[in-house]
Amino acid sequence: MPKDSAQSEERFSTGLDSVVSELFQKSRSEEFGLTRERFAGVLQEIARKYLPADAARIEVRELYESLRVEELALARACAGGHEHAWEVFLTRYREKLYDIAGYITKESSAARELADSIYAELYGTATRDGQRASKLASYTGRGSLEGWLRTVMAQEHINRYRRQRRLVSLDEETEEGVQFATAESEPAIAVDPRVEAATDEVLAALPPEDRFVLASYFLDERTLAEIARALGVHESTISRKLDKLAKSLRKQILAALGRRGMSRRQAQEALDVDVRDLRVNIRSQLSQETGPPAFTKKKAEAPADGS
Amino acid sequence: MAEIPKIVARRLANAKVGDHPDSNLLGGFVERSLGQRERVQVLEHLSQCAGCREIVSLPATQPSFADALLVAPLNPGWLSWPILRWAAAVACLVIVGTVVTLDRKHEGRQIASATAEDKTVVETHPSASNAFDSKTVSLQAPEEAKTTDAVNRAAKAKAASGADGSAAASSPVEMADARTGSPFVDVPARAKDATPQAQASEIEKGMDRNIPPPAGVADTAITPLISTNLTPRWTLSSDGTLQRSRDAGRTWQTIVVANNTVFRALAANGLDIWVGGTAGALFHSSNAGQRWTQVRPVVNGESLHDDIIGVEFTDIQHGKLTSSTQEIWITADAGQTWQKQ
Repeated sequence: MPKDSAQSEERFSTGLDSVVSELFQKSRSEEFGLTRERFAGVLQEIARKYLPADAARIEVRELYESLRVEELALARACAGGHEHAWEVFLTRYREKLYDIAGYITKESSAARELADSIYAELYGTATRDGQRASKLASYTGRGSLEGWLRTVMAQEHINRYRRQRRLVSLDEETEEGVQFATAESEPAIAVDPRVEAATDEVLAALPPEDRFVLASYFLDERTLAEIARALGVHESTISRKLDKLAKSLRKQILAALGRRGMSRRQAQEALDVDVRDLRVNIRSQLSQETGPPAFTKKKAEAPADGS
Repeated sequence: MAEIPKIVARRLANAKVGDHPDSNLLGGFVERSLGQRERVQVLEHLSQCAGCREIVSLPATQPSFADALLVAPLNPGWLSWPILRWAAAVACLVIVGTVVTLDRKHEGRQIASATAEDKTVVETHPSASNAFDSKTVSLQAPEEAKTTDAVNRAAKAKAASGADGSAAASSPVEMADARTGSPFVDVPARAKDATPQAQASEIEKGMDRNIPPPAGVADTAITPLISTNLTPRWTLSSDGTLQRSRDAGRTWQTIVVANNTVFRALAANGLDIWVGGTAGALFHSSNAGQRWTQVRPVVNGESLHDDIIGVEFTDIQHGKLTSSTQEIWITADAGQTWQKQ
């Protein structure tokens, strides 16, 4: 064993015996055939993953105590092929898997396909070094097992969608009339590098949550309700935050441009020129006005129709 | 919604994306089970990565899931639950006080206008004291219909059980009647001799006829009669003692359940009361607080030692305890057996 690894293992276990024993009891690991040593090993593996090697004992303890140990033991026992664990897992989550898939795909056959494929991954149809590799072995108990399953399924759904987008046949493209569409070209915008630098500076100074809200609303076009749900706050909080951000961003960028030697007027012009160029892409609009709808947009709708 | 300069959107879209958090962290973010440091790290990544934002938004926006998460707000401020709870209690007291005051005035007017003919009608319908209670309640505005129903049900239950006057005193409603000392409790002899079934029948008849009370009865006599027929109300004081009110919250009486126990959670389901507090103390009364039994939740030999901060019972059988360590203990057989979630 490498020296660093041995040291971190020691750090993640020394003086934590009582906590580990308590969590072992709480996790009902024995019921699922996991020994205390194996359980302690799983905890150390998780600590190595999420904590720096020089983490204080209190941090390790806090991490251990924050884990969903009962679900963790169940998942690891399933990954190890324990029959009773699988019975418990199926009783608890089988229906939920299909429900989650149904919500994500919005279509019954796609939902079944997604759920079946995830189930296969959870069971571990693939083998690694002669052993069955179950996706459940990657569950670390940071949130609920159900929450993890939701995330894994959402991830798989998005990956499938992207793969599907890459596999559009030439016939479909012809039907869509994509050959008549003018090639999309990046609008030629000469943005003053100082404007970019000032914008980056202002964005970097924002809390990550504010940037998340901006990106979700203005880039992903999510609704206020969706963003509010993701952050666990009320819709009106997001609305107020967006209003405040929209009002303050322009002022702050202008101030940052001023610090870069631009006069107020120059700064406003630099910002407005950029805005005009990006808002009105006349060439692109003229070329698409009489043509068929953009192919990419149609493709994006395809999975939702179930085609 | 105000627009942002397009350069901002473009710079946001072009942000450099670092390593993606794994499904555990993304799932933990959605469930808000991460620590502050990790949450900020994940948010930082999400602000840069459209793919991960999409992943997070799919599970996060599932209505039932997200709604369940919204129960616990992220940053409880002055609108935190304990404050709201007390504010709600104060608001309830004000409303109840107003309603009772208005009712008393209303009653006073009605009674003053009652005629001697009414008195005769009452005398020719010798029914049990409960029948008078019912009649009195039936004088109330339509909002009081629920109370009337409750009284009727209580009377029917009494009739069905065949209990006599002294045995019936174990019920909170009956006990309250006995204490009032109002003229309505002075039951005519025929009514006392009547069988419980006959009493119930009389009660129903009285309710149907909507007979007003005798004239000249002071409203002070009527008010306690109305209020004491209300279902007892329960609350926990700020120092963790259990309190009961039999007069719609006007006065509260401390109920001693156990010494040296501070109660933090209460569930009342009709006559079925559960209170939980420090060091896993859990007490149950199935007769509106007349008798208490300590219940010790045990799962696989492990008993509940943490403070109980939440007790919920959807019916007499099915209940849920929340401990200070966020453990959830569930029973489906009125506390006989427990399961941990």
